[in-house]
Amino acid sequence: MPRAILTSVVLFFAPFALVAQQSPLVVPHDSVRGAIRAVDVRAHTLEVTTGVGFALRVVRLQVPATVPITDRKAGQGAPLKLAELKPGDVIRVAFGGRPTGFVAYTIERVGRMDVGVESRP
Amino acid sequence: MTRRWIGLAVLCSAAACHRPQPGDPLRGLSAAERAQFDSGRAVFDSTFTPQVGLGPLFNASGCGECHEDPVTGANGDEVERHAAVFHPERAGAMCDELADKGGPVFQDSVTPALRAALAIDHEPLPPTVTTVAARTTPDVFGFGLLDAVPDSVILSYADPDDRNHDGISGRPNRFFDGRLGRFGRKALVPTLREFNDGAFQVEIGITNPSVPVEGTVTGNPLPDGTDPAPEPEIGARGLELADAFVRLLAPPAPLKQSGEARRGRDVFARVGCAGCHVPTLRTGDNPIPALRHKEVAAYTDLLLHDMGTDLADICLGLATPSEFRTEPLMGMRLATHFLHDGRAKTPEQAIELHAGEGARARDLFKALPAPDQAALLAFLKTL
Repeated sequence: MPRAILTSVVLFFAPFALVAQQSPLVVPHDSVRGAIRAVDVRAHTLEVTTGVGFALRVVRLQVPATVPITDRKAGQGAPLKLAELKPGDVIRVAFGGRPTGFVAYTIERVGRMDVGVESRP
Repeated sequence: MTRRWIGLAVLCSAAACHRPQPGDPLRGLSAAERAQFDSGRAVFDSTFTPQVGLGPLFNASGCGECHEDPVTGANGDEVERHAAVFHPERAGAMCDELADKGGPVFQDSVTPALRAALAIDHEPLPPTVTTVAARTTPDVFGFGLLDAVPDSVILSYADPDDRNHDGISGRPNRFFDGRLGRFGRKALVPTLREFNDGAFQVEIGITNPSVPVEGTVTGNPLPDGTDPAPEPEIGARGLELADAFVRLLAPPAPLKQSGEARRGRDVFARVGCAGCHVPTLRTGDNPIPALRHKEVAAYTDLLLHDMGTDLADICLGLATPSEFRTEPLMGMRLATHFLHDGRAKTPEQAIELHAGEGARARDLFKALPAPDQAALLAFLKTL
């Protein structure tokens, strides 16, 4: 009987423990769509230009090796390497804040700034 | 009975003849939209102080300080500094808009607190800057209609490779997220709402729900104690009202054209001005009926054109230093200076300064007989 109770308690709390452990890694705090300004493959970083009107800003991101980078044009979830991203690429990044700065969770290349990405109808 | 009919006819004719004057709202607004316009004008005319958020860096203490002559929403005599770094050798990243310094606008004024902290009276330019541009205050008449023009209409005028061999090769600018740009002298900004929201922060130093963070001093954080007002310094409601005022501001109706001006309109088309200054654009679907499916006599294609090296200044987005968006000519009769930096004092001077893609039309204008030149200028004075 005590073993059954213990098992029930463990099973009840296990999902919460798992979520608590995973949430800092998978829950995006913010997202941005903008043009790549610079890529540093060695340092695993990239800079994205974005803004509102003429109020511009640069978002600097660390890109751990495990971050999924995909290309919208090449098909659903077609993988890319960080080195394949170039200045002028328009990307959508989900990221979160860490004591060391912003860290990317996912990166999707959606097009090129000089070609355009989406039009209003 | 007859007198009543005559009175009614006079009233109807007066209503039909009433054309929007500078500063008037668009015709056909609902009572609620008209109320928003009126309240928005009050926000637009507000004067901000450091206690309520002005600065610490700013160009003006309110929208109406610059957009003021002869009415709220019109031109102004203020001239701003914009700067960028152009790297023609860097494919895909030729232009550095100084986004890491807050963008290309460098403010010319500071609050007393920032002056005391840093001993500056304007935002210093970074040493890397390759070009500094002067920018005059444009009017914002009819901007809601320009915002309502579908991208597809603008793109239909693009001819980047000049396939029709007319010497005009308009091309679109794009914002950093790839959307088509249309506002600003280089058509960087995609929507009127973003143009307005960004201007609160960049021009007045007023943070808001769209731009909740204060600007930097050439990329450096503000010293402690120099920005006492809590963020955001204007709320969503104030922002929406200011946007409504600009969005619903009518373009001034063109003046009645004399015979000479009507002839000038034909000359305008004949010499090729209308190749870029497209006389009318049509708006698309829109939640505001007064903006929906309307012809707007904008005299622009909202595209970038090469205007030659003499006018060249900063790059911006995809725009090279010599490329500028075709300036809308609606409300032109109210302007007292012309071109992006105000260097032309008359429309005639502005025409003579056209080069690059505008050279052919300029040369044809200069070769016209004097009466035809006068007719074209008379036409411009009706806009």
